[in-house]
Amino acid sequence: MPGFEAAFGGWPVPALATTYEGGDPALLERLVQLVDLLEIAPDTIVGSERGQYILRPEVLDEYASVSSRVGLIAHGIGLSIGSFDQWNHDYLRLLDELFARFDLQWHSEHLACTVVAGESLGTMLSMPRTQEALDLVSRRVELLQKLYPVPFLLEHVIQLLPDAPAEFTPAGFLNAITSRTGCGLVLDVYNLECDAHNQGLHIPAFLDELNLAAVVEMHLAGGVQYEGFQLDIHSSITRESTVTLACEIVRRAPNLRAVTFEYLKEAVGLLGHDAICGELQRLRQTVLRQAVLQ
Amino acid sequence: MTQLELQQRGVLNLLKCRGTPPGDPWLRLVEGSRELAMLRKIAIWWRTFQIEAQCRQTSRLLKRLGSFEALVTDYFNRNATSPFIEELSRSFLRSLEKHNDPVVRAVSQLEYAALNAQARLPEASEILWDRHPDLVCRAIESGAELPPAEPDCLYRLRISGSQPFTLTCTRESTFEVS
Repeated sequence: MPGFEAAFGGWPVPALATTYEGGDPALLERLVQLVDLLEIAPDTIVGSERGQYILRPEVLDEYASVSSRVGLIAHGIGLSIGSFDQWNHDYLRLLDELFARFDLQWHSEHLACTVVAGESLGTMLSMPRTQEALDLVSRRVELLQKLYPVPFLLEHVIQLLPDAPAEFTPAGFLNAITSRTGCGLVLDVYNLECDAHNQGLHIPAFLDELNLAAVVEMHLAGGVQYEGFQLDIHSSITRESTVTLACEIVRRAPNLRAVTFEYLKEAVGLLGHDAICGELQRLRQTVLRQAVLQ
Repeated sequence: MTQLELQQRGVLNLLKCRGTPPGDPWLRLVEGSRELAMLRKIAIWWRTFQIEAQCRQTSRLLKRLGSFEALVTDYFNRNATSPFIEELSRSFLRSLEKHNDPVVRAVSQLEYAALNAQARLPEASEILWDRHPDLVCRAIESGAELPPAEPDCLYRLRISGSQPFTLTCTRESTFEVS
């Protein structure tokens, strides 16, 4: 498994990427004219046949139809890399299917637990920042790096519950994982803002401490405030504060290879194709331009 | 039990309203927190959303009856829910097979059979209706009033367990001469 620096050496500027979950060919056609990479979330395109989970063939065909025009990356939701007992083997079978069909540039997953003792939590639980969790996650990252021939990245998730007893700072925990395993990071800028709002995370200190050389991909999204919480529901375009922060990170992350605008499929009707495409143009002109200006 | 297992099992139990955790101080802090209440809302909101998308007829009917959210919440709390939407939907529909409303039972069974057919899972089934099934489905779809139960008769809807999937429906009298 190549390390992220070796794999991406020579990329001049970060690519622009976005989510596409299938079933909207008119949107797909517009997206491929605007982005360099499409993000596939295997969990969101699952069907079943004769009791087996499969990736829906009609959606895979959509990706295949544009794969000569854009690169593809995978971003998982349900691996549950942090479960105390076992991760989600069904997700790995989906990933196998995806790798068998496409040349993916890298794949990533959330640093979280979604399944406990075989039971879905229905949400993502952030990991306690302990040596025990570090050992568990690192072992699994190393296994993923042996299983798949492209770089693997981890994304920090927002923390909603009160902070559990910790042996690392938030950035220190990520640094420990990347230095031990050589995996890269997906830095979700909006998630940082959620943690700042909900948990009092000091973003400047976090960024000062984080090894930004490990950041390979940046996620941008918009969400909502509800009952005093800032929630990471990808239901709107990126707000100005997120873009400003993203611009700063682009200038400071030397190995950044993609900036991905994420939105939920369910939000497409609310946002509209024009707004999504307009947002991608805006991000190219603002966030990605920072890399060119350096 | 490791600390990680203790915490993760504890949060699972708290999320699913399955009782107070043992003496772990962090879990006790989580238990009464507004953050836990929000996490639970998010988890249930997602399940509601997914079930609504996959089980259109049943969710519309349950909403009409005012019991949809309560049933999803109850289902979430009591069951090991699947992370995959199709499995979640089928399992939710199965949880309604003993519902006390015969229309809910019938509609959820019909939708369950439809999901099985989509997934090419061969499973023959027979659904009993106390009123005309087609009129029920049309009423749910259009938002019109449900047809009344028909006394002294039932509709027996049979769904084949092999391809091509076929539906046959017979109307039978239940009137007994004393």
